[in-house]
Amino acid sequence: MRRMFKIFTKKLFGVRYEGLKKALVIDLIVFWGLHTAGYRVAVSPSIVYLMASTFSAGVVWRALASEDNAADLRNLFMLPFAERTFVFSYVSAMGAYTLLTKTAGLLAVVFAVSAWSGGADGFRLVCAVICAVNAVLVTACAFTARKRRGICMLWGGTVIAAVFWLWDRAVFVPIILASILLAVLILSRTNAYAFYRRESGKVRHTGNGGRVSIGRYLLRYLASHKNYMMNTVVLWGVACVLPVFFRQIYAQDPAQAGGLSVLPVGFAILSVNTPVGILLSCDPALERAVRFLPGQGKAFCVPYTLFIFLCNMSADLIFLGSFGLQLGGVTALSVLLAAAFSLFGAVGSVLMEWFFPIRGWKIENDLWHHPRKYVVPAAMLLLAGVCTV
Amino acid sequence: MIRGREQMGSSLLHIQDLSAWYDGERKVLSDLSMELREHEVVGLIGLNGAGKTTFIKVLSGLLDSFSTERAVFHGRSVGFRDSAFKMDRYTVFAEDASFQYFTFREYLAYAAAAYRRKDLDRGVVDALVRGFHFEDHTDVLLKDLSTGNRKKVFLITAFAVRPGLLLLDEPVNGLDFQSTEFLYQQIAGYRAYGTVLFSSHILESITMTCDRVHVLEEGSIRQTFEGDQINAAKIREVLRYEKDV
Repeated sequence: MRRMFKIFTKKLFGVRYEGLKKALVIDLIVFWGLHTAGYRVAVSPSIVYLMASTFSAGVVWRALASEDNAADLRNLFMLPFAERTFVFSYVSAMGAYTLLTKTAGLLAVVFAVSAWSGGADGFRLVCAVICAVNAVLVTACAFTARKRRGICMLWGGTVIAAVFWLWDRAVFVPIILASILLAVLILSRTNAYAFYRRESGKVRHTGNGGRVSIGRYLLRYLASHKNYMMNTVVLWGVACVLPVFFRQIYAQDPAQAGGLSVLPVGFAILSVNTPVGILLSCDPALERAVRFLPGQGKAFCVPYTLFIFLCNMSADLIFLGSFGLQLGGVTALSVLLAAAFSLFGAVGSVLMEWFFPIRGWKIENDLWHHPRKYVVPAAMLLLAGVCTV
Repeated sequence: MIRGREQMGSSLLHIQDLSAWYDGERKVLSDLSMELREHEVVGLIGLNGAGKTTFIKVLSGLLDSFSTERAVFHGRSVGFRDSAFKMDRYTVFAEDASFQYFTFREYLAYAAAAYRRKDLDRGVVDALVRGFHFEDHTDVLLKDLSTGNRKKVFLITAFAVRPGLLLLDEPVNGLDFQSTEFLYQQIAGYRAYGTVLFSSHILESITMTCDRVHVLEEGSIRQTFEGDQINAAKIREVLRYEKDV
């Protein structure tokens, strides 16, 4: 099992585990930086457990479903292997990757800024880690049990209900541990091939007479990647609820009410649509083609910018609608500001892809959480600050 | 076999002392010099790791870790990323999974627009589609095509766009018997429009189409065969003793 575990971890972390070391050092720096800054917010433990669970589940699902992962599995399945060893090595490696390089970063931020009493931190950290481990294992079970998705959803719903309503009861930890035990039992009987996602084999014909449009290409791309689409839909959801948080700010500081001061902050947050902003980084063949064909600065990058602009603008318009309903004060100037920020975000994202594509990633998940994705939103936040002044 | 030495013209591309590397230490190409004339077919052959693909990558402008004494295209000094050079060359890579959400017809239209060849001859395209037995796949997304059919997309595009310099990296890989035969005809017949430089492991593809063959070894040209010297037995002999001191 150890040898097989090493095969997977070397793929995920790098041959010398350099990805792991880098991630842990960054987490440490972030934790130390935020903690010494002295900024504290009150966060309910149930929210932390929920974040650890859903975030870990999302990351591990993406890792299990990625196309490059399927190619690796295909090669490994060529060799003889022991079923149970394979399943546990694979899930452990995916879990270690998720928890140590992704969830650890989230927990570093949350625990650095949470305003809890010193003694409670250790226990809550242990609970958050248990929740994350449970999320990884339950997700692995759900991924392999495609015909029993209903049962898996019920299972996930039960865990979330426990996190919401029982987090402060003595029964909470035993419930999560029981869930972990159940997942381990299921995985011990799981067929290794269930982790391999075959290509659909569906051949799609289109009859548009060969009229060419990069916009249509990008729409097909988005439609073919359900998780990319889901990310965009989630952003629209965030756009709906963001004004609720701003209303709280207004309640604390009525002087800001009715102004444009917080709108740019919302636009900056809503520009973090990762998958549409990493098109070239996650498709090296497309990047190669775009670089070797002539005239692609205009032929490819302009429609790509327009596409990201429309994605950003859709989220910004939903945000403005929700903002107007809850707080009012949305004017034509607000819409113009949204368009300007959307365009800025789109141009920035495409320039980053063109001049600084992310290379050397191990699996697609690395792209989703690469620090580069925050560069454009950070620049937009700065711009938002300037606008406010 | 058709040889077109009588059509061969002046120098198309002259490269002198080209070196390329990936990690800064080991050179993949080492002081390689080559001249491609107009309207000729040149083959590159060599063992794995000899530098064939790297050479094509450099010419395609995809590798920036290289140095050269001189690169002259149509008598003018050139950079491999210059737009004028890019407009007059097209590369078919050994494996290509780009533009997966285009159909063949969409990709062809896109590439034709990039090369400003909006007036592509429909008759030529149709003949290429028929020759490669690709009629049933022209409106299928590239991601849904088999490896061989995906290769045909880029080969048909290359021969339809007709750039002055056609770079083909292992063009035979993945093709069925009939398409391979048709490809040989296209490569040999391309002299009428421009120059072809292609790499291959298949001796037959070289001997049936080339005016000149360079045998690459550790990033340099070990031996060159021209015209009647191009003979499978002779090339096999050279390849057999590659890397032997």
